[in-house]
Amino acid sequence: MNDESMHHIIRLKRYEQPPEGYYENFLREFHHRQRAEFLKPPLTTMLMERISSFLSEFRVPAFAYAGATAVAVLAGVAILKQAPQSTPTISYTASYSQPPVTIDKLQPVSLRIGTPDQPQPPLFPPSFLLQARPASHESPLSF
Amino acid sequence: MTAEPEPIPNNDQELVARTQEGDPAAFDELIIRYTPRLYGLVYNMTSNHEDTNDVLQDVFSKAYRSICNFRGKSSFYTWMHSIAVNMTINFLKKRNRRRHPSLNDPDSNIENDPDFIAAISRGGPANEVSVHELQKKLNDAMLKLSYEHRIVVTMFDIQGMPHAEIAKILRISEGTVRSRLFYAHRQLQNYLHEFKKP
Repeated sequence: MNDESMHHIIRLKRYEQPPEGYYENFLREFHHRQRAEFLKPPLTTMLMERISSFLSEFRVPAFAYAGATAVAVLAGVAILKQAPQSTPTISYTASYSQPPVTIDKLQPVSLRIGTPDQPQPPLFPPSFLLQARPASHESPLSF
Repeated sequence: MTAEPEPIPNNDQELVARTQEGDPAAFDELIIRYTPRLYGLVYNMTSNHEDTNDVLQDVFSKAYRSICNFRGKSSFYTWMHSIAVNMTINFLKKRNRRRHPSLNDPDSNIENDPDFIAAISRGGPANEVSVHELQKKLNDAMLKLSYEHRIVVTMFDIQGMPHAEIAKILRISEGTVRSRLFYAHRQLQNYLHEFKKP
């Protein structure tokens, strides 16, 4: 089948015509639809027409709607499950029952690690802390 | 292969001007003038009479609402065809999302059309195929084409429009029209291979 015979076959479709009297009724139906359109709010019609023509540009697969719904449901369930339980209110009232620490209660500290039950013999002479460091001595390990 | 161009009305401008001045009877005249031509365009895209009627009503309704914005940069003929093509393609996209078109709804009038019967009885590749089957095969093959290819086949092969006019309506180059036609014909040859002469 060459291009000419293809053209000939396709050209046969021009004989497909609407039912008898269609063209005569078409104008009448147009007037009828026009009158019906006047009853509708024109702004809404135009808005819907624009939205629908805008959306028709996108090709959304049918399963996308189901997928989006499933994701929304799962997200909702996850948010509800992670919602915090009713926790007891914590009172932040300050208590001053302890006596204030005075300077004469400070104890000398050692850099050696040890348990209080087994006191280690001091390698260095006792010293007082000044900003968390011995004031009179620095351990070689602090480098 | 040459297409037989259909005559383009040349006094549309007067009717358009009268419509823009508020004379609805002038637009009625334009409807009467353009309905048969646009019917063929839309019908061969949708292959369904009821859908064609709905689309055509919407096309003329939109044209009537927008005719005040028509400034005559293109001819009214091109302008109307552009509206019809755009609205038909939008309709087909919506219809494809809703359902698959029925191919069991061919226009029954064609079987009684003497021109059609004479055309197929003159011989040629389709002479051994029944009229109804041929019509169904043609519709089936056309619906397998993409919208872009189907529209150029409809305008060129069926409606007989010249390449330049198709290019203006679709806002593409003439080269693109020819290329789409070539590709569409090749696809149709594959779909209709059973009509080959033995």
